[in-house]
Amino acid sequence: MSRPTGTRAAIVLLAVLGAACSSSLGMPEGATEQGRDIRELWVVFVLAGVVVAGLVYGLIIWSLVRYRSRRSDDPATLGRQFHANVPIEVVYTAIPVAIVVVLFTMSLRTEQRVTEVSARPAVTLEATAFAWGWRFRYPAQGVEIVSEPSSPTQPGPEIVLPLGQPTRVVLRSNDVIHAFWVPDFNFKRDAVPGRTTEFDLTPTTTGTFRGVCAEFCGLNHAFMTFTVRVVEPDAFATWAAEVSA
Amino acid sequence: MSPAERTGPVTWLTTTDHKRIGIMYCVTAFAFFLIGGALAGVIRAELAEPGRQFVSTQAYNGAFTIHGTIMIFLFVAPFGAGLMNYLVPLQIGAPDMAFPRLNAMSFWFFGAGGGLVLLSGFASADGGAAMGWYAYPPLSGPRMSPGVGVDLWIFGIALVAISSLLTAVNVITTVFLMRAPGMTMWRLPVFTWNAVVTTLLGLVAFPPAIAAFALLLIDRQLGGMAYDPAGGGDPIVYQHLFWFLGHPEVYILILPFFGVITEIIPVFSRKPLFGYTGFVLATLAIGALSTGVWAHHMFTTGAVDNPFFSAMTFTIAVPTGVKFFNWIGTMWGGRIRWSATPMLFSIGFLLNFLIGGVTGIMLASAPIDFHVADSYFLVSHFHYTMVGGSVFGIFAAIYFWFPKMTGRLLGERVGHWVFGTLFAGFNLTFWPQFVLGLRGMQRRVPDYPAEMGFDTPNLVSTLGVVVMSIGVLLFVWDWRRSRRRGAPSGDDPWGGSSLEWATTSPPPEHNFTTLPRIRSLRPAFDERHPELVP
Repeated sequence: MSRPTGTRAAIVLLAVLGAACSSSLGMPEGATEQGRDIRELWVVFVLAGVVVAGLVYGLIIWSLVRYRSRRSDDPATLGRQFHANVPIEVVYTAIPVAIVVVLFTMSLRTEQRVTEVSARPAVTLEATAFAWGWRFRYPAQGVEIVSEPSSPTQPGPEIVLPLGQPTRVVLRSNDVIHAFWVPDFNFKRDAVPGRTTEFDLTPTTTGTFRGVCAEFCGLNHAFMTFTVRVVEPDAFATWAAEVSA
Repeated sequence: MSPAERTGPVTWLTTTDHKRIGIMYCVTAFAFFLIGGALAGVIRAELAEPGRQFVSTQAYNGAFTIHGTIMIFLFVAPFGAGLMNYLVPLQIGAPDMAFPRLNAMSFWFFGAGGGLVLLSGFASADGGAAMGWYAYPPLSGPRMSPGVGVDLWIFGIALVAISSLLTAVNVITTVFLMRAPGMTMWRLPVFTWNAVVTTLLGLVAFPPAIAAFALLLIDRQLGGMAYDPAGGGDPIVYQHLFWFLGHPEVYILILPFFGVITEIIPVFSRKPLFGYTGFVLATLAIGALSTGVWAHHMFTTGAVDNPFFSAMTFTIAVPTGVKFFNWIGTMWGGRIRWSATPMLFSIGFLLNFLIGGVTGIMLASAPIDFHVADSYFLVSHFHYTMVGGSVFGIFAAIYFWFPKMTGRLLGERVGHWVFGTLFAGFNLTFWPQFVLGLRGMQRRVPDYPAEMGFDTPNLVSTLGVVVMSIGVLLFVWDWRRSRRRGAPSGDDPWGGSSLEWATTSPPPEHNFTTLPRIRSLRPAFDERHPELVP
């Protein structure tokens, strides 16, 4: 490869990487602080994956093309009979070690941030999963919303979260294992009977988002849906007052 | 009785010959593959478009439960066991396995267990097994799954697990005690090394799983409360026990096929394996690490919030990465006959499995799991390892050792078509599923809303299954044809290196009439090239 071609390729690569960094590479943008954090980590992992896979694919395809057997070859011809090369082997073991140490450290930091629960959440939402629906309670606001028994035609219940403030979700299950997943928040958590689990959601975008049960829970698992609507804090207060009245 | 007289079904049913048991394992496992594949067809047909078209929800839930159970416990793992049965004694220069009758018993336990699993799915009057292949309680417990299906499933899987344990004892004993003179552990063919590590993993991982299933059965039938919070039990305990099997199990499913392609790539590159010692050490490292990664299946439970399992999972990527460089180093400087069908499937393995590996690193990260766990992203990831890896390895193995087993070649030209349709169909099926999972489609659902961006990827995925099915049917047709009328292969059509290529094809009843001198990793190669022996 001549130098100009190499330079051009590097420029193209940088442009692609730059474009990639500003997109979410398949994962939703993340409509909560926690979801954005996870999406940023995702972008790093995808780029690292693309670089590593590109290098390995390149080596595989280069070997296949460069060292292919040709029709003109004597079928008895052998390849070069070498068995090992310790320095190269040490290098190709050390480089993956370095890569995974970096990725693991980043992953751990993100995990600590997104699972952190604030000392004073603005709203507490108790979510209880059952086969096949949800019971949502806002104890401070005196609001309770319960699914109609889910069926393929029924939309699930709608919950409302205030924008920009942490909502503490207290998740439980009444019967089997379920999972609370809002794909646009890039986050899910299992609801395991006999356990209580808590996490914070801090929405950064207003809008309506789809929620599903992500852990197979029997017959109507697919239809155990709900909706999350994120509104301004004032609108949240108004909504809560209306619904509790 | 001479081998010529030993024909007919009864001699197969009563055989203790490792070669026949190996072939019976492979054929039975392949039959299960066809059943499991048909169930995948049901799943993909239902998902081709939004809305409900073909089966009831209950039948759909049963289909993915039995699909997963069959593919893992009754197809890939037993096919690996069949290859080990056939190849290990031949590769180490032994006349048979250490315990031939135990070996026959392993096979029949597997067959019986497989039969029970099929019954659990299809023939139980009051509700088949429809709780997902990992049978999480309380869903699999007495209240939510009262039917006899789950009980049959437990007995079936337990029999298969016991069969695996017996095979493990047999393979390990055979390799440690029955190697031919000169066959030191550091001259052991890589497939046999992988067989040793695979069976050691089985020995470690299956007993806790059998205990987990026994407790589940007690909960179901005798009012035990092991997994029921109402009685002080905990469903998380089941998950720990189950995944302590489940994660080593995925290496049980892949290691034999790492072994397969690592036998094939050097032969068709006309070179020795690059970095044999490093490769074996990496295999041992994978075996050891794989017993410490199980809870990465449980990140979203919130019940394992320590970094240990994530760290171990990241670490296991390193020895796996090392293997890729072994394979590249082996091809480097070679004279690669890439168009031979066993080599094509091995190359397909490399290309597919790399995607499985890279997405595996993503899944090792707990926060990324918070989004993609239990989504179609995860489904696609493990199919890239289990189908793109193991199943391509299975086809590579079939094309490579079919001449050894029968003395005949499978069709090369048909083989290219089989490879082409499987490779294209596989990637068409599973690549869109990454997109689906990221966009928010959860697994194990028979339906999805229209206009969510799920329609096109699902349709493409279903078309991919159609393409793959053509490949599988083409293969079955060619297999039936070549068994009797394939071109004679001679004893060694490929220029093989390991000891099985130093005997006739098919081998005589006790494998070898004379053994070549074993001075290196490649005794059969050394015989052809005495000038290259150091």
